[in-house]
Amino acid sequence: MHSLKTTFERMNRPLTYLLAVPVLFLLLWVVQSSMSQYVILIVTFIGIYIIAAVSLNITNGYAGLFSLGHAGFMAIGAYTSALLTFPVKLREVFALAPLPPLLGGPEFQWPFLPALLMGGILAAIIAAIVGIPVLRLRGHYLAVASLGLMILINAVAMNFRNLTRGSIGINSIPKYTNIWWSYGWAVLTIYVVWRLVNSSFGRAMMAIREDETAAQVQGINLLKYKLLSFTIGAFFGGIAGGLYAHLSGAIMPWVFSFNLTFQIVIMVVVGGQGTIFGPALGAVILIVLRYVLKPLEEGLGVYGLVELIYATLLIFIMMRRPEGLLGLSRKFSK
Amino acid sequence: MLRVDGIDVHYGVIPAVRELSLSVEKGQIVTLVGANGAGKTTTLKAIMGVLLPRRGSILYKDEDISQLSSDKRVRKGIVLIPEGRHVFSKLSVRDNLTLGAYHRNDREGIRRDKEWIYRLFPVLKEREMQMAGTLSGGEQQMLALGRGLMGHPELLLLDEPSLGLAPIVLGEIYEVIKEINNSGITILLVEQNISMAMKIAQYAYVMETGKVRTEGKSDDVMKRENIMKAYLGE
Amino acid sequence: MFPAEYYFQQLFNGIVFGSMYALLALGMTVIYGILRLIHFAHGALITIGGFIFYVFFTVFGFPFIAVMGIVIALGGLLGVVLDVIAYRKVVGGPEVSMLITSLGFYIFIENLMKLIATPQPYPFKPPMFLDRLFSEWLITFRTVDLFIVITSVAIMLLFNLFVKKTKIGLAMVATAESGETARMVGININRIISLAFIIASAIAAITGFMWGSKYGQISYDMGFTAGVKAFVAIVIGGVGSIPGAMLGGMILGMLEMFSVAFLPPGYAGYRDGIVFFVLILILIIRPSGILGEKEVK
Repeated sequence: MHSLKTTFERMNRPLTYLLAVPVLFLLLWVVQSSMSQYVILIVTFIGIYIIAAVSLNITNGYAGLFSLGHAGFMAIGAYTSALLTFPVKLREVFALAPLPPLLGGPEFQWPFLPALLMGGILAAIIAAIVGIPVLRLRGHYLAVASLGLMILINAVAMNFRNLTRGSIGINSIPKYTNIWWSYGWAVLTIYVVWRLVNSSFGRAMMAIREDETAAQVQGINLLKYKLLSFTIGAFFGGIAGGLYAHLSGAIMPWVFSFNLTFQIVIMVVVGGQGTIFGPALGAVILIVLRYVLKPLEEGLGVYGLVELIYATLLIFIMMRRPEGLLGLSRKFSK
Repeated sequence: MLRVDGIDVHYGVIPAVRELSLSVEKGQIVTLVGANGAGKTTTLKAIMGVLLPRRGSILYKDEDISQLSSDKRVRKGIVLIPEGRHVFSKLSVRDNLTLGAYHRNDREGIRRDKEWIYRLFPVLKEREMQMAGTLSGGEQQMLALGRGLMGHPELLLLDEPSLGLAPIVLGEIYEVIKEINNSGITILLVEQNISMAMKIAQYAYVMETGKVRTEGKSDDVMKRENIMKAYLGE
Repeated sequence: MFPAEYYFQQLFNGIVFGSMYALLALGMTVIYGILRLIHFAHGALITIGGFIFYVFFTVFGFPFIAVMGIVIALGGLLGVVLDVIAYRKVVGGPEVSMLITSLGFYIFIENLMKLIATPQPYPFKPPMFLDRLFSEWLITFRTVDLFIVITSVAIMLLFNLFVKKTKIGLAMVATAESGETARMVGININRIISLAFIIASAIAAITGFMWGSKYGQISYDMGFTAGVKAFVAIVIGGVGSIPGAMLGGMILGMLEMFSVAFLPPGYAGYRDGIVFFVLILILIIRPSGILGEKEVK
């Protein structure tokens, strides 16, 4: 474990980073050209989860907030981008309202990147709206408020049939996402986190996480930093959602449930809150675990086995090694 | 009755008390004085079991209680009246007193003690059904004392009973402390107000930065301290 | 707009649901008061309560009163187990850690239920004598509705008496205010905490039965929404206040029913979302809730 940690620590240096990226893409090219569709799909999924986990880490790991609504932000990103890129010809067939003139009019179909960005931005805006009243208060208020936000978004998705087609969901979404989009964004997200952490913003966030009162006394505007962390995290969550929508081609309200949020929380915790690569590692481990166990789950008909193991893993980590796999042991970090 | 032998007590990683030894004989009033931060409250907390010493031992009636939990020490007859009063503000005066006798089962004894306390502090009887949080500072101090006494202690640990009290009330409180001692209860008194403490105590320990600087019969210690102050021109 | 009966009906529904939320909020607030911890796993006890009832009453055919006894006993027992395994070890650590662990335990239990009971919901019927329908007067109700309201009120009254008149009840209030001072008076706070868990969990288990009766079914995830709503109820009424919790529960129940009543028909599914709006509103206007202490920030 120790050598793994120092390896990752070395990765903090820009040179390593610059070298790692081409290596990563080389690996991905190998996967893309030689592996089965199924494996490519899983690898792409992992990339999306990496984005989700790393972005949640900005809020939960670095700023020490406890947001449980990430699935909601992903839902916003997914639905927004899907509705914007939806093929014009199919809109009537699927009873989806055409785009209003402001957004391009009925003959327009948004290209992928702007739609993705729109999804992320909208998620960020909603995060800001909710964050302003709630982030002033104690931790558990945010936990439940964000949970409630997710429930609300879910309720809208389920019931606002004209917009979201309710519980049927939207399918036939153009499958723009491929392994390059997925990991391209993942690299970008990690880069953003890396820059944030190594800046005065990052230091302020961590000061808040360690001791809020002390941070306040030093003149750090708590609300501003918390709000920024929350919003940035939501933005990338929205991106992840949008990428997901255009990978699976179909989205339904129940996909973006508490279960999803919880999985991402576990990835962050298991991998290491407050580390750059921890959540990514967590994402890889958990998704691989899921797909390894899936035949078992289906074969034995034991539904919920994967989540049960996830939960056990979370409890185990919280009790024995709360800093996660890549985290610095609290005993030595002071 | 009480013997503390070379204890080290830490607040987290900070050592607050180092190699402290003191003893209290049955029936005495012993006082522990010193400036703010000297470690007096820490010492009392260690005796009470709120903090556990890292080294050394605490012997009560020849029994080692160093690692015993607080509630068990209460059952053995040690009660701490903490600094800052700490009454249960949402409960009535009467309920506070009832809780003081929480670990006791002797109905008669409890009743008698309650009557005694109402005699010591008539104002508590007046405000019997009032919420403790609405009492004045001095009244809360009396309530805290009364609550502690309801535990029928043999050894009473008092942490700065004079803190924040008006001088008039001070005198009353100290009268009561003397009366409590007269009824047979041994007292270990922590005070910043040295003059009042020395007047009623027989023996004194002076603490400084976690250690005992000097000890002795209270008159002697007073003289010594005066000489030192004169010598250093404080 | 609607006939008078409609409003009375909704008011009555509001009272019934409000009673359930009030009970849930009571349990959660008891634990919060002592540990300063949002006990996420509380919701799981509702699910378990419902299933215990189902197993012993519908499957095994035990008499109603015996089954209720079993529900209370097993619920309380599970509460203690949770206390010792889950919370005892993380209490005193950073707040976020406690929340995460609490969450982890909820998920664990929920998925264990999913594993054992399968994702399929089970139709749930209370005993015959509670299932009778009355339509004569202004409102339509089943006897189980009366049971819910009466039992809730009874439990709340009993609990109130408990904390005001019994030594242990007083000890609980004392421990909630200051654990350290409580220890100095000879109170064994670990035992008090366990007791709090037993009471809260037993109450939650009973609520599981009520919930199942009202919705006509039980499923592995029925505790989730209930748990979130309980927390909203606490926030409305004031975190840390027992009467506040009960008041908050009632208000939430009424709000839910009335919003459903006044919304256009197709929007009934928004019911759960309304809860969130209320929460945000309260957090903006008055974070300490109606009866709560000012949250220092």
